[in-house]
Parts: sequence; structure tokens; C-alpha cells
Amino acid sequence: MGTTLIVAEIQEGKLREASLELASIARKLGGDVHGLVVGKGVAALADQFAKRGAGKVHAVDGDVFANYNAQAYAAAIRAAIQASKADLVLIPNTPSGWDVAPRVAAALDAGFVSDCFKIEDEGGERVFHRRVFNGKLDARMTAKAACVVATVQPGASAPFEGSAEGSVESLAVDPGALRSRYVETKHTEAKGVDLSKAEIIVSGGRGVGAPEKFPEVIQPLATALGGAMGASRPVVDAGWLPHEYQVGSSGQVVQPKLYIACGISGAIQHLVGMKTSNYIIAINKDPDAPIFEVADLGVVADLFEIVPALTKALRDAKGA
Amino acid sequence: MKIMVCLKQVPHQDARLDVDPSGVWIQESNIKFEINSYDTYALEEALQIKDKGDAEVFVVSVGPERVTQALRTALGMGADRAVHVKDPAVEGSDPLGLAKVLAAVAKAEQPDLVFAGLMSDDANYSAIPPMLAELLGMPHTTAAVKVERSGDKLVVDREIEGGANEVVELQTPCVVAVQTGINQVRYASLKGIMAAKKKPLDVKTVADLGLEGQVGAAAAKVSVVKIASPPKGDRAQILSGSTDQVVSGLIGKIKELGLL
Repeated sequence: MGTTLIVAEIQEGKLREASLELASIARKLGGDVHGLVVGKGVAALADQFAKRGAGKVHAVDGDVFANYNAQAYAAAIRAAIQASKADLVLIPNTPSGWDVAPRVAAALDAGFVSDCFKIEDEGGERVFHRRVFNGKLDARMTAKAACVVATVQPGASAPFEGSAEGSVESLAVDPGALRSRYVETKHTEAKGVDLSKAEIIVSGGRGVGAPEKFPEVIQPLATALGGAMGASRPVVDAGWLPHEYQVGSSGQVVQPKLYIACGISGAIQHLVGMKTSNYIIAINKDPDAPIFEVADLGVVADLFEIVPALTKALRDAKGA
Repeated sequence: MKIMVCLKQVPHQDARLDVDPSGVWIQESNIKFEINSYDTYALEEALQIKDKGDAEVFVVSVGPERVTQALRTALGMGADRAVHVKDPAVEGSDPLGLAKVLAAVAKAEQPDLVFAGLMSDDANYSAIPPMLAELLGMPHTTAAVKVERSGDKLVVDREIEGGANEVVELQTPCVVAVQTGINQVRYASLKGIMAAKKKPLDVKTVADLGLEGQVGAAAAKVSVVKIASPPKGDRAQILSGSTDQVVSGLIGKIKELGLL
């Protein structure tokens, strides 16, 4: 049995839930578990991580680690791999995790697998499960390397809830002269469209095909239902609607009573923003679209046939 | 200023995805290919710098003969020249293998800036730009949504979660992986396409880059053992029938939810 190093992420002064999910995965895999906490003034968090399943925790502390920096954090992770002799390194697949992890793998000439939703031992072989083709297909991967660095999708496992023995050791790391620096975090101003309060959201995706189809086809259905209009990322990237309409991990996370997805294939980044809606209806031409995996009710058809007819029927029903 | 843009040619976003007999990839015959969506934004970002002043933009891609098409498109959009690493020995490389190929090209070219897309639409690794930066000893950032030059530095807004951006300052040379939506991507004009035919497109082999035995399937540290459609578990109940039947089914459900 080998050693798994799990890398915590600190968010707003707390251990991010995804860090504790890694503890669960590492413990299920067996072998020794080591943890890593990187930041400024992290003693209490390192202690907490140790008690919450991270085993032997290495704490890397210092001014240079106060904010995420790829080069500094990569140096810290490399030092912890060396100290723990880990053969598997798990990092949350978050904006800082996906930024640093490949850098570490390249430095160590290690194996690298990203955005795993499951890592299991199958007949003595470690299998990494991830999605490819923007969620349309599942891939099972194996590695032949002395060390594998893997990033793990937040939510891939329940967080470790048991109590565990753990310890903390501080680890001195000098990342050398840095060639990049953190400047600031900019929070976007209050949004013009607040989808979080809408009871019903009708969203359109790439399948809507053209910007003018949003006011012509999608908005009328939203209006007929007394709801709001949303969109998926490709629509906003193409400039068809402003960013404030975007539902997904980089837009708004919504949980309405009813979510109707029109012409949205269901890339993971969109699903993260709407899958906890109370009820989801999906309308898409492609029967294999991943959106049907999270929807409650699906219609495999051209949205331009269904949506206008539904809008008209709703208007008629209300008028009656 | 010399700017390198890494491009990948991927199956068209609407292409039919059938698993091929090997079970580890999709059937590539009879499907359309396109430039990876993220990479079109990377190229546009480089071309906008070129539009503003004195910059040379060259594109690099790794893959079989079909990749020529993607490179010609990039030249048509305004890139000055292209490098195509075309060699059966590179097939089956893992992301680190491909990063080594791109790093070898970069070492020979010495670019001031390297742009790439945040991830590919097929393998979805998001691995190569940070790997490339590490191999070149350059700083990097990912998910760039705004890039500004400030002397010999770049100031980049990178997208993090919850609609926030993190601002990072990078010394050049550096590697920047761009997020989609960072700019409005131009189309290749007819004039551009005509001009592209005369632009240089260099073909390189693994041996040219001095990487024999270091890349390709045999050197890959990770490999796909199987791809398949996700399990159809508790997927949606599908409403079928005529448009009228579907619409009345939908209205029935909306009423049942108490929303009508």
C-alpha cells in the first residue's frame, strides 16, 4: 500500500469542503494518508485538517503563501511529496487546483489525470474515472508512474466525517524568486439579472442558434410562466446575451422550483449551476445529451417546434 | 515581439461520437474536425496584439495530416506562419508528452509570449499550458478573461468562482491559457485564406525536436483504458409523441408542480 498526499484548499479562511472529500477518497483507497495545508497563519487549519482525516499534515506557512501563486504553491506541493514519499497526490479541481497541479506533475515527470469523479482500486489496479468530450463520454484511465498527480471534481465524494488521529508538522519551503504575483481579487458588481430569486427559469443554449431567438423564443416562454430567462456559457461567450444571464459555475448558481433547459447539451460547468433545481425539464435534439442525465423530464425534439407551442398553450391556459 | 499560439484540432462539437473498436477513443473517420474552441480565443488574443503593433504570431499544432486544415485556417485568420509536428511516433502521447513536444518547439523559437486554450473540447485535460510553462521555466496563468500588457509584464484577470476574477501580474516570457469569451473571434476572410496559401507551414518530426523515445504511447505515463457513454441511471423520463401530446404532457407536469 502506498501513500496518498491530499492537498487542502483554503477558502475565506476555512478548509474548503472539497479538501475533506479528498480525505474520504484517500482513506477508501487505503495506505497512509498525508495532508498539506499551504497559506499564511495556517496552524489552526492544519490541526483541523489532521483531525478530519488528513492524517499526517504538513503545514507550509509564510507571507509568500498568503495568496495563491502557481510557482510558490507548486514548490510547496513538491516539498510535501518529497517529505511524504507519496505515490498519489490529490488536489481539488478548482481554479487554483487545476492551475497548479499540471505544473507539479511536469516538474516531477509524474503521471497526471484531471477532474476525476471517482478513483478506485479495481483488482489491484488504480483506476481514474473522468469525463471527456465535455461530459458526453466517460473515460477510465490507468497510470504507470512512480507518482501520479490527480485533480478531483468537487463533490466527487462525501466529506470525511469520522474522527481520526492526526498530527501536524511544519515544512519549510523556499519557492525562490517568483516571476508572477497576485495583485487582487475583483468581485463583480451586483448583477442586473438576479436569477437566484426566480421560481422558474427558462434557459437557452448553443442550440438556440442565434441571438435574436432569445427574445423571440426563449423569453416568451419565461414570461408566459412568470419566470426569468437564463443562458449557458456558449451563449454568453458568443456575445448573444450579457454575462448576467449565465447559469453555471462561472455564472449564477440557481435552484428554482422549475428549470427548463432548451438546446443546452449539459456541459459540467452548466450542470453545476442548476442540477439542484427542484424540477428540471430538458428539450434537446440529441438524445445522448448529458442534460438528460440530470433532468427529470426530457423531450428529444427541435426546441423550435416545442417551445413556441408550449408558450402558446400556456397563454391559452391562462386566458381560459 | 514573438507570440506562439498552441492549437489543437478536435472533433467538431456537433460530431457524432461513436466509440471505435479499440474502445479507447472515438471513431475519427467520417467526422468533421475544427480548431478547439478555447484555442480560437487564444489565437484571437494573439492576433489582437499583432493588430496593435509589431508582433509575429506563429501557431503550433501536433497531430496527423488532417491538422494541416486547422493550421491553414489559423493562417487565414492572420497568423504569420505555422509549425506542424507530424509524426506517427507522437501518437498516443499523454499531456506531458505533448507538453514536451510544444516545449521543444518553444525552446527553438524563443517566443516572448505563449497563448493556449484553457482546455481541449475532446480530452478535457486542462493540463498542457501549466506543464509547458514548467518545462520552459516560465510563469503561467489559466482561465484568462482579460490580458493587458504593461511594459515587460502582463496583467491578467483570471476567472475564479462565483463571478469573481483574480488579477495576476506575470513577467514575460510567460504562458497564458485563455478562457472562452475573452474576445470576439474573427473569421478568416477570403483575402486571408488566399494569403494563407503562401504563408510558411513547417513540418517537424519527433527526431527534429530531439525527443526520440520521450513521447508517444510507449512513454505515456497515463492512458485511457476504456471510454463509454455514461451509465444511463436515473435519467430523465422522456416525453414522446406529437408536438401537441408533448406540450400537453409538459403543461400537465407544470400544473402538478403547482406552478400554473
